[in-house]
Amino acid sequence: MTGRPADNPFASRRIDRLEYRFQGIDVQSITDRLRKTGGRGSVIGPHGSGKTTLLEHLAERLDGRPVWVRLSAQTPRPVEAAVSKLPRPITKEHAVLIDGAEQLGPWSWWRLRRRTRNARAIIITSHSPGRLPTLHECTTSQELLTNLVDTLAPGMAENIDLDELFLRHEGNIRLCFRELYDAWARG
Amino acid sequence: MTVLRIDTDDNRRWYLPGDTISGRAVWSLDEPCEKVELRLFWHTSGKGTEDVEIVNSLSFTADATHGDRAFSFTLPLGPYSFSGTLITLTWALELITLPDGAVESVELIVSPTPVEVRLEDLDRAPRGFTLNLTPGRNKR
Repeated sequence: MTGRPADNPFASRRIDRLEYRFQGIDVQSITDRLRKTGGRGSVIGPHGSGKTTLLEHLAERLDGRPVWVRLSAQTPRPVEAAVSKLPRPITKEHAVLIDGAEQLGPWSWWRLRRRTRNARAIIITSHSPGRLPTLHECTTSQELLTNLVDTLAPGMAENIDLDELFLRHEGNIRLCFRELYDAWARG
Repeated sequence: MTVLRIDTDDNRRWYLPGDTISGRAVWSLDEPCEKVELRLFWHTSGKGTEDVEIVNSLSFTADATHGDRAFSFTLPLGPYSFSGTLITLTWALELITLPDGAVESVELIVSPTPVEVRLEDLDRAPRGFTLNLTPGRNKR
C-alpha cells in the first residue's frame, strides 16, 4: 500500500507553504531597490528557482492592493487573459504582480504596461532580464535543495542522492520535488 | 483567546453520500467580527494543482463575541472521499471568522465505506465487479 497523496511531504500544498530562502540578500534590500526604481522591477531566474515564491513574499510587503496576473505556457492568449482579470481602472492603490512575463511577446507586453501604467508598483517574474530593472536573480544550489528537503521530509535527504537529482534536473527544484513526491509515494 | 469549535452530532465523522450532517457551531471571540461562516467543502491535495469546491455554507452575524448555533447540511451524492496515486479528495467542515480569517476545520469521510476509497484497491476487486465513482451507477 502506498502513502496517501495528502500526507506526501512533497504535495503541492506543502511546497506552496515553503518560504523563499534568501541567499546573501534580505527582503529589505529588495524592497529598497524597488523604491529606487520607482516601484518597477523584475525577479528573474530559470524554471523552478523560486521566482513565484519570492514574488508572493514581496506581495505581502507592498503598500498597494495586490493585483495578480498569473501566466503560464498553458495560458491561451496570455495578454487577453491577463488584461481581462485586471480591475478598471488601475490606480495608485494597486500593486500589479505579473508571474510569468516571459509568456508575453513585445506587443502584448507593451499593451499590459500601458494598461497598468498608473499602478503604484509593478513587479514581474521572468526568465531573463530586460523588461524592468532587475530586483533579484533567483538561483538554486544542491545545498538549497538539501535544506528544503530537510524541512519537508526530515531524514529523507540521507537516503537519496540529492546531488545527482539536482544535476539531472539542471537545478530545477520544482522538478526535483515532483520526483521526490513519486519516490515517497512508492515508499 | 478566540475559540472556534464544530461539534457534529454524536461526534460523527463518516457519512454516506446524500446523508444529512448536523451539529453545532460554537465560537468565542476576543473581539466581535462581521460574521462567522460555516462551510461544507471538499478539496484535493497531492501532486498537482489543488481544487476546492464549497458545496454549502451558512453565515451567522456575529454582533456578539459568543455564539452557539445549530446547523444542518445535506451532502450531495458525490464526489466520494478517496485517495489515488496523484490526489486525495478530502471533505471538511470549516468555521471561519470574517474578515480576519481565524479558522477551525473538521475532516469528514463521505463514502459508502467507513474509510476513504483507495483507488489502488479497486484493481483488486473481484472480476465482474465494477465500482464506478459516479454515485448511483455501480454495476454488477
